[in-house]
Amino acid sequence: MTALTYAILVLLLGAGACLLPLRNTTRAGVGIVSQVLATGLVWATVIPVLFGAQEVVGELPWAYPVGVLRMRLDALGAFFLSWSLPMTLLGSVYAAGYFRPFFNTSRNVGVHYALLNLTSLSFVLVYTGEHALVFLLGWEIAALAAWLLVIWDYTNQKVRFAGFNYLVSTHIGLIFLVAAFMIIYTHAGSWYFSTFGEWFKASQSTDRNLVFLLLVTSFGLKSAFFPFHSWLPRAHAAAPANVSALMSGVIHKAGLYALFRFVLLIGRPDEWMGWFLIAFSACSAVVGALYTVRQRDLKRLLGYSSTENVGIAGMGFGVGCLGLAWNEPSLVAIGFAGGLLHLLNHAFFKCQLFYAAGAVYQATHTVDMERLGGLARLMPWTALSFIVGGLAISALPPFNGFASEFVIYSGLFGNGSHSISAKLALALGGAVLAFVGAVSALSITRAFGVIFLGAARDPSVHAPTEVSRWMLVPMGVHAAGVLVLGLFPVLGLMLVRGPTELAVGLISRADTDVLTPLIDKLTRIGMISGTLVLLVAIVLWLRFKMTSRPASRHVTWGCGYAAPTARMQYTGASFSSEMSGMFRSVMVLLRRKKAPAGYFPTDAYVITDCVDAVERRLFAVIGHGDDSASEISRKIREDDPRFAFAAGLAAVVLLTMVVLLSGGGLL
Amino acid sequence: MKFLLSAIHILMALSMPILMAGVVNRTKALWAGRKGPRLTQTGSDLLRLLKKQPVFSTLTTPLFRVGAYVVLVTAAFAAMIAPVLGAFAPVQFDHDFVVFAYTLGLARIVLMLSALDVGSSFEGMGAAREASFSVLAEPALFLLLGAASVATGYTSFAGLMGRWHAVAHFEWLVVPAVITLFVLLQVEAARVPVDDPLTHLELTMIHEVMILDHSGPELAAMQYAAALKMTIYAGLIAALLNPFDPMASPAACTLASLLIMLGVAVAVGCVESLTARFRMRSVPGYVLVASGTAAVCLAAVGWGARWQ
Repeated sequence: MTALTYAILVLLLGAGACLLPLRNTTRAGVGIVSQVLATGLVWATVIPVLFGAQEVVGELPWAYPVGVLRMRLDALGAFFLSWSLPMTLLGSVYAAGYFRPFFNTSRNVGVHYALLNLTSLSFVLVYTGEHALVFLLGWEIAALAAWLLVIWDYTNQKVRFAGFNYLVSTHIGLIFLVAAFMIIYTHAGSWYFSTFGEWFKASQSTDRNLVFLLLVTSFGLKSAFFPFHSWLPRAHAAAPANVSALMSGVIHKAGLYALFRFVLLIGRPDEWMGWFLIAFSACSAVVGALYTVRQRDLKRLLGYSSTENVGIAGMGFGVGCLGLAWNEPSLVAIGFAGGLLHLLNHAFFKCQLFYAAGAVYQATHTVDMERLGGLARLMPWTALSFIVGGLAISALPPFNGFASEFVIYSGLFGNGSHSISAKLALALGGAVLAFVGAVSALSITRAFGVIFLGAARDPSVHAPTEVSRWMLVPMGVHAAGVLVLGLFPVLGLMLVRGPTELAVGLISRADTDVLTPLIDKLTRIGMISGTLVLLVAIVLWLRFKMTSRPASRHVTWGCGYAAPTARMQYTGASFSSEMSGMFRSVMVLLRRKKAPAGYFPTDAYVITDCVDAVERRLFAVIGHGDDSASEISRKIREDDPRFAFAAGLAAVVLLTMVVLLSGGGLL
Repeated sequence: MKFLLSAIHILMALSMPILMAGVVNRTKALWAGRKGPRLTQTGSDLLRLLKKQPVFSTLTTPLFRVGAYVVLVTAAFAAMIAPVLGAFAPVQFDHDFVVFAYTLGLARIVLMLSALDVGSSFEGMGAAREASFSVLAEPALFLLLGAASVATGYTSFAGLMGRWHAVAHFEWLVVPAVITLFVLLQVEAARVPVDDPLTHLELTMIHEVMILDHSGPELAAMQYAAALKMTIYAGLIAALLNPFDPMASPAACTLASLLIMLGVAVAVGCVESLTARFRMRSVPGYVLVASGTAAVCLAAVGWGARWQ
């Protein structure tokens, strides 16, 4: 514990030093050095705990009425701490390149580094807090630091709005969290998580269910689950790239950490909790994925894909909860290991994608994909980094996203002892996951294809060159992580082994043999990924041995049209129009246009804008609730024969299903 | 035995694409009252392409050259997992069907990126259609696999497809299951009524337009991979219908599998001769048929279990 205390001190001192009147370069250096030191100190404590050493406990006496502040580092906290701090450190290194233009101006970059240090500090507090107040303190430091980090470009009104939007949302989440803690406190009589756990395990009351729902809401707001995600795309689009990466990849994983922590405290969740988590997470995954399809701002797109990915990880947790409820240790292991592995993998590839987006922004001063094009030839390293991250986020082999989704799939298509209807429902979840995968493949193809391939679309965009090494190195480290965890997913499993054993230990003593099948599974996945890479390499080698002559080049086939321009390429909007046409009711598309009129039209435009349906309808329902109700009822015309037919059909199907599924019990 | 079956599987998976393309073309020719090309014509075409010197667009990146071979390798790898012979595949393990679906997914994304790499609006159009239709096709496959996994209790692809016929109530499930796979074949292998490989207009194509700027060996790789995909799906239908156990009677099993696959090729050819390609607007509806029939399978498995 003392090493962790020193880490906190180092981070605080570093933050203080960053605020001193020094040169910006020195401030950045101080920030990075203090992060390096803190990471080393944290690793020294965390790594042994992660690989099976005794839990570390620390206490700090505090004044009445708080009592003794207790901190406890177990395998779960160790897992999250083991990558949160290094990734924040990489973000600080990236910031040194990203903010380079500001270094010789009067802008104080030190504040940014101080806030990054405070974010690291909040990780230590949240992931070790055993006393509810320590936990809340860390939670709040993370929220405030993230808010201040988001509004770097505070002179822009939109950025300030996005910042306040985030601040309000995160505090609504805090209200739910505090409410849940207060309910537990009235029953448990202490602020320690261990006593929380005792109450959870003893209680079967409605209060327990209520607390569970409050907690899921709060953690859902923190991790941006649908429908609590509306702050996220705004904040991610407004923040500097390293902050977006940090928020999406690292800070918001705290919500899922807390979810896991409280599942451990609950012990044996009810079956409905598992199903609720799966349904809630599946909705997030689907809606998040669908919203990535229509975005033209690359960082907004990546923001929505965070909602999608926390949904996928949440599905894993849901499967694990079902395993706990059904007393199936192997399902528990698969669910939680899959969920945690996906979190880790997501942290790797999401940071990488945001760093690449930041590189695009720094080089071209825009992330609007309709204005970009052909960047791959000018920024090859950034392009390579983006496509590696993109294939990983679409869960394709040979990258790491595939390994974790495979584990979750194997939970959904398991052959455990649960009932046939439960298996069918889980298989339906598998189909949902397949849909989400295909949608995210579409979005990534679109984003990479439009921005990096083809020809430049807008001549007014600054012609880019490759960004500095300060930015390329963090991208490279993440890319290496994505590839290594894809080819050797067992390494990832080694990291999540400790926390998974904690979960499995809730229902069974002999916990080692549950993980062995998982190890086999992931070794095989790694071998398959390796085989694919090897086969492609061999075929390519054969191909290039066949002809060494440079291939001849010619312009792209334009169907005989003599004067093609770059503006004629397929755009992001046109790429997604087919898809968004199919899901018109979910994706609200605002359309403003001025048609050309008269014999000599001077001015005409069409502007389409994919706005967030939740945000839009939230205000509409609050402001005009009764109007929107009557709007819906007006749309359904009573005398419409199609409606009557559809309603009748639905009723018949529903009734038949009820009768059949109840096995004639109703009759 | 396993070695022999693996050899048969590999031989079949790699040679059937050419034969199947030949059978489809011959069927279409017979319907049109022509004699048609030789059954191995596709093979000769591919050999001719291999000897040619490719021409690349000035806009392309290295991704374009690498892409064609990634598509080829991933399709071939998926063919090793697909149980063409019934309850057997050379590469076989728990939940290998996820790997199957995602390696094909990798092939698709690389194909689409290669199409976007040349910066042509037509190829972008094809890629967009491919992406949108696959979004509807992917859940259909997983619904069907979910139904099979619950019904049989197996977790490997070969077990699911090859041993489903031994389960009670299979006769109720076989029709929707085959329809699902047949529609998926038409989507994945770009056949009428989803896509027309022979259309002359770039605006109405899906798969062919994505490889407009490919030439030489790269074009051969892409075309072979497309034919391989058709073989894989025909092989899945064969596995579903094949009544023989490959371990017990390998010869009968291989023969039955071959005949069913050729039958599927004839069916594809008949559909292409007798129907026109759908308008692009109606294609999503047609692809949804696959999800619908797969969902019927899933529901039927549930009800069947209740009545036992």
